[in-house]
Amino acid sequence: MWCETMSSAERMGALMRGERPDRVPVIPFIFGHTALVCGQPLARAFDDAEESFRCQVLAAEMYGYDGGPLYAYASAGGWEFGGDVEFPAKKYSGATVVTRTPIQNEDDVYTLPVPEDITKAGALPIALGLARKQAEHGMPVTLQIGSPLTWAGSVIGEERMMVWLIKKPELVHIVLDKVSQFLIKVAEHYTKEFGAEKLMAFHGAATESNMLISPKQFETFVLPYLQRINSRVLDLGVTSFFIHICGEQNKNLKFWQQVPVTRQTVMSFGREVELATAMEMFPEQIIAGNVDPTIIQESRAEEVLRQAKECIEVAKYHKGGYILMAGCDVPPQAPPVNVFQMVKAAREFGRY
Amino acid sequence: MLDEATILERLSRAVMDGDEDAATQAANDAVGAGMDPQRAIMEGLAAGMAEMGRLYEEGECYVPELMVSSEALYAGLAILRPLVVQSASGAIDRGVAVIGAVQGDIHDIGKNLVKMMLEVSGLAVHDLGRDVEMDAFIDECMKVKADLLCLSALMTTTIIAIKDYLPVFKAKLPGTKIMIGGAPLNQRLADEWGADGYGENAMEAARVAIRLLEG
Repeated sequence: MWCETMSSAERMGALMRGERPDRVPVIPFIFGHTALVCGQPLARAFDDAEESFRCQVLAAEMYGYDGGPLYAYASAGGWEFGGDVEFPAKKYSGATVVTRTPIQNEDDVYTLPVPEDITKAGALPIALGLARKQAEHGMPVTLQIGSPLTWAGSVIGEERMMVWLIKKPELVHIVLDKVSQFLIKVAEHYTKEFGAEKLMAFHGAATESNMLISPKQFETFVLPYLQRINSRVLDLGVTSFFIHICGEQNKNLKFWQQVPVTRQTVMSFGREVELATAMEMFPEQIIAGNVDPTIIQESRAEEVLRQAKECIEVAKYHKGGYILMAGCDVPPQAPPVNVFQMVKAAREFGRY
Repeated sequence: MLDEATILERLSRAVMDGDEDAATQAANDAVGAGMDPQRAIMEGLAAGMAEMGRLYEEGECYVPELMVSSEALYAGLAILRPLVVQSASGAIDRGVAVIGAVQGDIHDIGKNLVKMMLEVSGLAVHDLGRDVEMDAFIDECMKVKADLLCLSALMTTTIIAIKDYLPVFKAKLPGTKIMIGGAPLNQRLADEWGADGYGENAMEAARVAIRLLEG
């Protein structure tokens, strides 16, 4: 009978060093779900650093997956720049959402301040609280540094920003500049507090999807700011990145190739980007993906296992390394047995 | 005086260019020329929007372009639509729709595009906005005697609401066709959950809506 020969930390360590682990690592992408399987309200994953960390550690131990805790949320930016958010307390709420954007009109763009003290801005106190727990336990310390257009959408309001991309592009650039200044300040703070060698810098890129914007708009409004932020983060000495390229982004991939990253970079993809395509475009980086989160929520365990096996068969021997992962955030109420199928698939079909 | 073909072309072009001022001017010219306002809407403004929809489906334009086109469309509609009820030909009346993003979901770009395409297709649309609870949909559908109910969810975490809502709506709103849409959804889920229709994008949603209501 085959037995795992590495702990999760050893497995992820081997992957990051470019060595082959005992099996394909698994990061299921179940942030909110971890609170529910620990019997906590969903909001605890987002509003309480101690509880969020505890639930993520316990869920990883229960399922046997390899990713450590992190703190990030898709609608980041709005709260940090002075807007309001609502933690997921209502039925069907899945994540923190912005209920009032800091920008309401064109004049607000010019007066929008970049928060002086990043440690007090929006969710940063919670994120830093979780980061300190990561550091205490010798885990990689994660920090959210974008992506800048997704942050700008939370600051401006997605719908307003879509119109401004055409009618008032200069206003979007001003906000992107302020967001980039802020994110660089965040990276500088984390580097000072934790040390660059401990950090893993995270981008969640959702608004960049080609379901919303064109590749040309990506080139104009996204690429320069990603390059600016990542260049500065690299200058600080950070060597590890985690980039979630959310949804349909096939036409953006050639631009993502131009974003400065290291070999120790995990690039995770949604169902819309074929793993084979991702492997070809990013041969040196670690590819992660892309089990359909809707399947994990809605289908039978056998279907999840089948799809996870398919992903492993495609990407297991990727030169840069491979992590089995859901294509996006798994619904918090997903059946636990379905979530476990990813670990089961890695153990059965992902052995090296 | 401008001929009608020229005015229709200008209405259509204004929408495609996302030019609100040009749409307003062309709509005023249509009124000044005594054109049938319904014809100006359908063969001018809506034709331009339909062309933008075609370009979107072919990957030639994206949501920002659709949104500025919709602003121009609504600028023209603001002038022409009030005149339709007074015109001899009358409006195309394809039915009454209620639309909203389900509880927990605050994303409404896609929902707003569907609303616009339904309006230009001749439906009266009642928009409940976003983060809409189940009972609010039921109350509105009963109040306006909706022929069609459109449910939107963008997030993988909120599509569950649609699954829960559907059997209740089917029981309480027997005369209302129900459509669903949003990035994580697909035809298979629509069939499994008992929706009458699914639209992958706003343009398809309008086509499916018309088919459901005329079928």
